[in-house]
Amino acid sequence: MNAAAPFLEVRGLSKRFGSLRALDGINLDVPHGGLTALIGPNGAGKTTAFNCISGALRPSEGSIRFEGHEIAGAPYHRVARLGVVRTYQVVQPFAEMTVLDAVTVGALLHHPRVSEARAFAGETIEALGLGSKRDTIARSLTIADKKRLELARALATEPQLLLLDEVMAGLTPTECAAAVELLRGLVAREITIVMVEHVMEVLMPLADHVVVLATGKIIFDGKPRDAVNDPAVIDAYLGRP
Amino acid sequence: MTPRSHGLALGIVVVALAALALGYHNAFVLNLVFVGLIYAVLGQSWNWISGYAGQISFGHALFFGCGAYASALFGVHHGSPWLALPAGALVAAALALAVGFPCFGLRGHYFSIATIAVAAIAEIAVNNIGALGKANGFEMPILAPSLASLQFDDKGQYVLMALVLFAIAQIGTITLERSRLGYYLRAIRANQEAAASVGVDARAAKLATFAAGAALAALAGSLYAQQTLYVGPEDTLALPISIAIALVGVVGGLSTVWGPALGALVYVALARYGGAVLGGQGHGLDLLLYGGLILVIVSWRPDGLAGIGGSIRRFVRRRSAETPA
Amino acid sequence: MDLGPLPQLVVSGILTGLLFALISVGLTLIFGVMDVVNFAHGEFLMLAMYLTFGLALVGLNPIFALPFVALAAFVLGAIVYRLLIRRLLDGPPSTVVFGTFGLLVFLQGAAQYFFTSDYRSVPNPPFQGTLHLGNVALGEAQLIAGLGALVMTALVFAFVEFTEPGRALRALSEDRVAAQLMGIDVQRMNALAFGLGTACVGAAGALLMLTYPAFPRVGTEFALTAFVVVALGGFGSVQGALLGAILVGLVEVLGGFYISPALKLIPVYALYLVVVLLRPQGLLGRR
Repeated sequence: MNAAAPFLEVRGLSKRFGSLRALDGINLDVPHGGLTALIGPNGAGKTTAFNCISGALRPSEGSIRFEGHEIAGAPYHRVARLGVVRTYQVVQPFAEMTVLDAVTVGALLHHPRVSEARAFAGETIEALGLGSKRDTIARSLTIADKKRLELARALATEPQLLLLDEVMAGLTPTECAAAVELLRGLVAREITIVMVEHVMEVLMPLADHVVVLATGKIIFDGKPRDAVNDPAVIDAYLGRP
Repeated sequence: MTPRSHGLALGIVVVALAALALGYHNAFVLNLVFVGLIYAVLGQSWNWISGYAGQISFGHALFFGCGAYASALFGVHHGSPWLALPAGALVAAALALAVGFPCFGLRGHYFSIATIAVAAIAEIAVNNIGALGKANGFEMPILAPSLASLQFDDKGQYVLMALVLFAIAQIGTITLERSRLGYYLRAIRANQEAAASVGVDARAAKLATFAAGAALAALAGSLYAQQTLYVGPEDTLALPISIAIALVGVVGGLSTVWGPALGALVYVALARYGGAVLGGQGHGLDLLLYGGLILVIVSWRPDGLAGIGGSIRRFVRRRSAETPA
Repeated sequence: MDLGPLPQLVVSGILTGLLFALISVGLTLIFGVMDVVNFAHGEFLMLAMYLTFGLALVGLNPIFALPFVALAAFVLGAIVYRLLIRRLLDGPPSTVVFGTFGLLVFLQGAAQYFFTSDYRSVPNPPFQGTLHLGNVALGEAQLIAGLGALVMTALVFAFVEFTEPGRALRALSEDRVAAQLMGIDVQRMNALAFGLGTACVGAAGALLMLTYPAFPRVGTEFALTAFVVVALGGFGSVQGALLGAILVGLVEVLGGFYISPALKLIPVYALYLVVVLLRPQGLLGRR
């Protein structure tokens, strides 16, 4: 690995669906460590960006380099093995598996022995406060717990870059506060986080860095406190008068 | 069931059937037990790919045929039958990889139809290639009975060989369920995309499972050829054999350790009254009943006989728990 | 220029292909509307052939039997949908595969049990003459079967393209959710599609009896060819099925002549594998 290579470097990333340009040549740098918030109005292309970076979708154009490796268009599972793991906006649990088994699937990525993977999955579940539900079938969890399960599954792979797609949506204020604490803990463990969130207020105190997407383009890239005063951002959120 | 209770059940079945093979010299019954064990192994090998890995194969006779023809060719050309076993298994595994690689990326029915097409091509080819015996197949030479020649004068010894293979298939399945691959296959069946998002290579997992299952089916084919000493396309490669293998797998219950064995038991019992086993054309009543059974099971109990067994076990346990001691 | 037997083979291949087309259109219609690969499709063909045979025993020419057989097949298909397929659609995708597979085994077993494995041909078959067009000689029965299949395929196509229920079927195969929102009764349309798809093999079974015997496993071979055709044309595409069927008919007849009659199906199945490898969306399909 080239020591000078940036952590995540996105250049000229575009994704078209037919005539629709979901992403229109975005450039993005994510430094190692800390939390980057990726925000923007509905349909701005946030989830599409995640899909491209995580390998779920093949970009139409552009390059995505993670620690110097080109990952644009690489198979999904290979991107995950490099250490880029995401969660889904609409939770995708392994419905018929127990919480422990589902998280074990993630843990097996770097713990090939099943017994070790189960032990590590157990610790991960404990740390996320799902310990009492380890033998519950994923399908019967509440939404908040499903989101936690999804986070646990991703964390069990010991990612370097975690892409979180609206993990806070649908949570009660108390649950949100708990989630914020959890994220602080992850950042302290040197896991780099890029987080898509609809609601700016949740993220502002957490984020080191804010990127605003609107209609497939990046309209702001900078410090959180500058974002709230930026006219382009305000326009995108409130619409032009 | 835990691995330990699976192991216990396997031990009981193996000991009981071994005692039967050694002590009961009724050739008719032993032949039925042998065929039942072969079908249990075939059903299990099918269950790996079509149950656990969720890719439904309707051409599984192809792999059975690989083993049978490997044994026939080694027999006719005076090679050791013990070399035929790995040779057939290797060819079967290679074919499985060749079919699976292009098709596992596509939706399921492409794979199912491809398995039928490849098995049909193999059947037509064998029927027309002189070196493979054409439609007449091969009569294998009779050798002095010994473990080295894999020919025996007592039916019971074939049953013992089949029991060994059956035990391998069952232990393989019990191990699979608890292994990394087993977790991956369950995750893929539940949600392939989410599995990929945490680093699961779905295609590699399915290919490994398919190749292993194909090799296992080939071993069953070799053993079958050693017992009948005749190998022809009609009773090893033809579509009805593939259908019978899938039947055994579905009826017993997909993705269960004991489903294929249960399915084989029902299959042999029905075929005993319905006509012929393996290749022969019965009068159809067995197929009628079997098809009807599948329709009933699929529309009411997709988890098959093993699932029904599980429900009964839970029911009995609940009843006995309620009954004061 | 002497083309040798080529013109004869091409005409024969196209006529064979037209019968494949009728069978395949039924399969692709069911797939397009409800996303079901009906593995028992060939068994409905087999039943239709036996029914035609039965009607021929009481003196009915297969051509006149065709409307009755097609209608009976339609009713049977709709009933099978209501009793079986509808229940299976709620489960995981494999449920439908195993359900139609169980139906295949059931119907084949039933035919073997009730009709035995004997080959049955229509007694005193009609249209035994031969037509000569230049140096192409055509059996009248083959010609009538092929043209009849073309007419039936055209009728199905016209129904799907130009009638109100046909439009609903197309809407369903293009976008299920939107079609439901537009108030299309999905259960009714599914039953219609399954009935119509089965009626196609009903008609094809009647036409096939002009040149082919009925036996319990007759459906398997034709169904397999239909799978190839449907993959070639793109799952769900009626026009693709017609094109694919003629291509497969030509491959089968030309391969049978220039390679070997015993090997004629190998190029057909190989064609399937090539399409799956190189163009899984089919010849006309877009990804």
